[in-house]
Amino acid sequence: MSKSWTKKDGPQGDICLGTRIRLARNLAKLPFPATANRDQAKQVMKTAKELSGGLDQLASFRFLDLAEVDELERQILMEKHLISPEHTKKTSNKGLILSENEDISIMVNEEDHFRIQVLMPGLQLNEAWELANRVDDLIEANVDYAFDPDIGYLTACPTNVGTGMRGSLMLHLPGLARINQLGNVLKSVSQFGLVVRGLYGEGSESYGSIYQISNQVSLGHSESDMLEHLARVAEQITASERQARKYLQEHNLPESEDQIYRAYGLLAHARIISTKEALDLLSTVLLGIDLGLIHDLDRGLVKKLMVEIRSAHLQKMMGQSLPAQERDRLRASLIRERLNR
Amino acid sequence: MLCEKCQKETASVHVTKIVNGEKTEAHLCQNCAKELGEFGLNIDLPNLFASLFDYAPFSGKLVRPKQCPTCRLTMEDFRELNQFGCSDCYETFRDEIEPLLRRLHGSNHHEGKVPAQGYATLSVERQIRTLRERLQQVISMENYEEAARIRDQIRALERQSHGEGK
Ligand SMILES: [Zn+2]
Ligand SMILES: [Zn+2]
Repeated sequence: MSKSWTKKDGPQGDICLGTRIRLARNLAKLPFPATANRDQAKQVMKTAKELSGGLDQLASFRFLDLAEVDELERQILMEKHLISPEHTKKTSNKGLILSENEDISIMVNEEDHFRIQVLMPGLQLNEAWELANRVDDLIEANVDYAFDPDIGYLTACPTNVGTGMRGSLMLHLPGLARINQLGNVLKSVSQFGLVVRGLYGEGSESYGSIYQISNQVSLGHSESDMLEHLARVAEQITASERQARKYLQEHNLPESEDQIYRAYGLLAHARIISTKEALDLLSTVLLGIDLGLIHDLDRGLVKKLMVEIRSAHLQKMMGQSLPAQERDRLRASLIRERLNR
Repeated sequence: MLCEKCQKETASVHVTKIVNGEKTEAHLCQNCAKELGEFGLNIDLPNLFASLFDYAPFSGKLVRPKQCPTCRLTMEDFRELNQFGCSDCYETFRDEIEPLLRRLHGSNHHEGKVPAQGYATLSVERQIRTLRERLQQVISMENYEEAARIRDQIRALERQSHGEGK
């Protein structure tokens, strides 16, 4: 959910909110971050800083030493999915290379030396892979990667070995959730060798009917084969979601309309609201827009709210850290202000 | 130093053990050390050695678990952490990792991107492998014309990779 992600919808943007490609890479002859000593970790940071200068033919980049970034700012980076939760905790010798419009980010000294990530709006697996691949090429021209001819790119965790690639799609599935078919669909996804997660990654529960699906396997197939497989499964899911939405329109309209306008009403008038409740209601309102039931609300504004209402974003807006109760009140007032404008 | 047991040969095997904070050492010759290993409990050395030899099959030196020479990780460490310490671990534990990769990925062979630098021959090798598989297929389908064509391609690639190898 970088800047570009929330700005535009992208292909299949009514269901696929975004695409992410991640490549895990390590430098040859240096231990992985968890076992590296301080000098070795520093060396990786130094290399990364130098590399960030060599990427300017793609975009303008900045290098962040996370030890010099305050906690709130790190939380914001996490809420934008630019760094992992782990990367916000221990900060010594952890870094981030970030492109100006935030579509390219490289976590330095996370689980692996480099985690190259590309975010794009909508369903754009091939485009995102091509860009990640170019970033990777530019880095590789200057460093030696840990690579084995038999098993590919070597990573701290053997689940990422081979291509080091994970492709993920963030899907908005409120239709399937409403007709109680989500469980079935997601179960079949895992039978196709893909992983399903909630909005905040590994093990997290679903917020606002948003699910991430990604490839589980990183070895034994080419990147493009893996992404094609992911795209095919995603095609099935989006087709089912479209069917579900059509069903709601044709057979369940009064009830759906009622739920959608209730959600709209709650958002427009609530005084205290948690992140989860807000996301669930915003998801319902987004469905209302996609079903053509709500006309007076901009889709982009709703999608943007789904990011802005997260805790660190709110606190940044207020310029200070706030207790949970205050946040819930502030969240409600921000939503009211935006919706009643 | 003479062997503590036979008092004849030179002691070339030295065993140290710390029990209750007390360090004890034994100095033995190769023969006595071997004997000890096989008949660990039948000898008249202090009991602590008996128990020591009991758990470490004795062959002149103590057997230690395999350890990565670069980062000192053992497979036991890996099972605890679910992570390797450095890229050399993959070489050290190749035999253990192979079945693990099969279980995780259904494969133990990389088919994806190859770094351009210094790995150019690799992609040629992979092309050859793919062509050989294809060759088997067309032969089984008795498509000999296609088989001859593929064989030529393989030969050309082989020449190329040998040329680059030098
Ligand atoms: Zn002796
Ligand atoms: Zn190692």
